[in-house]
Amino acid sequence: MSPVLSQAGSCVQDPCLAVAGYVPGIAAHDMSWETLMFEAHGQRAEVRVPRLTPTQLETVAATVRAAAQGVLASMPVMEVVGIIDRVVLRMLDTNHPDRQEIDRLLPIISGFDPEMTRLGINASLKAFRRHQSLRFLVEDFGDPGLLDGFRPRAKGGWTRACGPSLLAHVWAGNVPGLPLWSLVSGMLVKAGNIGKVSSDEPLFASWFARVLAEIEPRLADALAIVWWPGGETALEQVFCRQADVLKVYGGEAALAAWQRQLPAGKRMLAHGHKFSAGLVSAAALDTRQARLTARQAAMDMVRWDQQGCYSPQVFYVERGAQVSPQEFACHVAGEMTALQHSFPRRALSLEETRAVAGWRQGLGLQQLRGGQIELLGPADAPWSLAYIDTPEGARPGALNRTACIVAVDTLDEAVRWLGSQQAFLQTVGLAAGPEELFRLASLLAQAGATRICALGSMTTPDAGWHHDGRFSLLDLVRMVDIETSAEQAAEALASYRD
Amino acid sequence: MTKADTVAPHLATDILADLLGFMNRPDAGADEFNDLALRLFAHQFQHNLAFQRYCRQQGKTVRTVRHWHDIPAVPINAFKDLTLSCVPPDVCERVFMTSGTTRADSRGRHYHPHLQVYDQSMKLHFAARFMREAKRMRMGILFPTEEMMPNSSLAHYLALARDAFGAEGSEYFVTPEGMDIHRLCETLEQVEHEGKPYALLGASYSFVHLMDEMQQQGRVFALPPGSRILDTGGFKGQSRELAMDEFYRQLGASFGVPASACINMYGMTELSTQFYDDGNATQPSVKSGPHWIRSRTVDPLTGNDVPAGERGVLTHCDLANFNSVITILTEDVGVSVDGGFLLLGRAEGAQAKGCSMAMDAFLQAAAG
Repeated sequence: MSPVLSQAGSCVQDPCLAVAGYVPGIAAHDMSWETLMFEAHGQRAEVRVPRLTPTQLETVAATVRAAAQGVLASMPVMEVVGIIDRVVLRMLDTNHPDRQEIDRLLPIISGFDPEMTRLGINASLKAFRRHQSLRFLVEDFGDPGLLDGFRPRAKGGWTRACGPSLLAHVWAGNVPGLPLWSLVSGMLVKAGNIGKVSSDEPLFASWFARVLAEIEPRLADALAIVWWPGGETALEQVFCRQADVLKVYGGEAALAAWQRQLPAGKRMLAHGHKFSAGLVSAAALDTRQARLTARQAAMDMVRWDQQGCYSPQVFYVERGAQVSPQEFACHVAGEMTALQHSFPRRALSLEETRAVAGWRQGLGLQQLRGGQIELLGPADAPWSLAYIDTPEGARPGALNRTACIVAVDTLDEAVRWLGSQQAFLQTVGLAAGPEELFRLASLLAQAGATRICALGSMTTPDAGWHHDGRFSLLDLVRMVDIETSAEQAAEALASYRD
Repeated sequence: MTKADTVAPHLATDILADLLGFMNRPDAGADEFNDLALRLFAHQFQHNLAFQRYCRQQGKTVRTVRHWHDIPAVPINAFKDLTLSCVPPDVCERVFMTSGTTRADSRGRHYHPHLQVYDQSMKLHFAARFMREAKRMRMGILFPTEEMMPNSSLAHYLALARDAFGAEGSEYFVTPEGMDIHRLCETLEQVEHEGKPYALLGASYSFVHLMDEMQQQGRVFALPPGSRILDTGGFKGQSRELAMDEFYRQLGASFGVPASACINMYGMTELSTQFYDDGNATQPSVKSGPHWIRSRTVDPLTGNDVPAGERGVLTHCDLANFNSVITILTEDVGVSVDGGFLLLGRAEGAQAKGCSMAMDAFLQAAAG
């Protein structure tokens, strides 16, 4: 839900109150505060957020940078992993009052179904337990000790990895928990982290910061969570000037705007809008499998109401199995109806409703012009599917549980269609046999996909995944080499030299 | 005699006579509106096969539509994709096309077998809402002529305004070379001197360009009392965007015409009737139409009315659309209020909040 202005005459009483943001080094009474209002599920929430001046933002950045250099940089990476583990464990503790408050507030702020939110948050948090973080590190570094000091290289010389002193994050508010990925990445490479939360979801990152400060007070100043409404150029310029590396999630326009403000020579890591798809092989469409496959496809659409980059917007379904693509589409429709009971779709804004209506109208008009299109379900259903009987390019849905299910003769054909969106393609959820998996994976890799997973797992990427095909940790660091010559030259100057 | 007279059955000549009569009687009641709407719907259902297919797709036929509320609202995009006309397009006297896109085949088309109804609709309502007590006024038009833009409904509308209501000396200030600001300023000086009320009419963005230019030259005018301004269409990315209250404040400062005498017209290529407000002293102003058009604010998915006071998408039932479809679903967001509706702007595609791509961004990417 976008923040709404409080409306006179609202029947909802006693809003839940919360404070977001985490600003070390500046007293609360020295900052000005604004209130973001949210309303969903018949409840209201008022979230107070600090509004820093450019000078205050400079101060916070300097505080975080200094704390990271003074404490975090000299902390063994295994200790950092342990701290994150304790923080995450605490956030997973549903008996803790903080977690209970989050479980109460996030559904109001995001509009998402409370149970879906709870499960989604747990899934995100679980990816950062100790063993997962280790996997994350090994994925990128092989030897995580590279982050602690120079490590010998097999062919001679030494190397270490240095994180940025200040990593600045700009988060989108689409999926609660999203800031965890980049925050934890920043901590693992021992960066000072300063993150700007979105007005749509200011709470989750702030919660992480507060728990961290409580669990490990030595790191209390090494992280800041700030907020301002988009387009505040003065603050954005401070942010860009202070950051060593800037990580931005958002649409093309937002990414371009940040890139323009970033001083030359500084790195920006961008995660722009993406497009994901599901592929269903004939192997997954016998009478026994088809219903399960349909349920998995439906779950991928339902989770976070398709607000994630990894959420499927189109499904290509192979003909020739016991269950036809059209029957499969009907199965998915049935599952969408059933899942509405367990995980109701959040209330849509008028703009979102219009997007869905426009999408349906476009398909309806195409049908009138002779297109082989069938719109499934009533117009006012909290989901919308279109079955398309002729293969066509990867047409996006309208988000919020909408998708086209397209029949194809072979999945190879589907991969070709997906290839037309190479620049945007991210995750492909696949229901296929083992030989097909590896054969199609090669084709999908060529078509631009960066992640292939099981249908049903599209919204829960593995820890250590290569988000948009990049290295989450390695992209943040600067590698420093001691070359063999330096070592040899030093030997020549040793006190014990011959 | 128009070309279309040869296909008289499709023209609904009997309904037309009643329609024109109805438009001339401001006291006509809701029942009469409903009867005419249902007759026009039945006519369009019968003679416009694309519309009939659309109705059937929506599960609506002549038998199930009992009230003008039930008539399927056709999304304005359908004017791009379908031929919405009861008579063959090639016998139409005029086709108005939507602007805003460079690809000709994706422009919406509104077919008019003749302009008798369109013109009567425009003149009756323009007289009541813009001219008021005045029969004719000297006018300056900040828009291309009909000859320059033969498919623009706005160009026709403004030509009609000048021909039917313009006093001697009314003229266009947009030529194929652009806006003739020099000549316009000379004219306004003369008008100031003569002291007779003057009317400036044009696209909202033309006024912005004009005011920017005047500001650079350091010019302001104080047009005589009774002068008025009509702007329409918003800024459409053609000029800098201005908040509406700021726009009317600047108009006041530049021309000496108070916001209360600045009328905004809300019209669409897909309609044959326009809406006006009664001045813009307060924002947002209430828009309303004549008795032959009725508007609702609906949920765009279900087509049901939204609760009173809530934002919805505007849908209009315009009886003057006798040849195309009388009920259209716009992309404009509004709120119904006493005496009309507040226009709150266009419902842009939903902004993607995060990293999942919204359709608009996708289409832009595909086009770019």
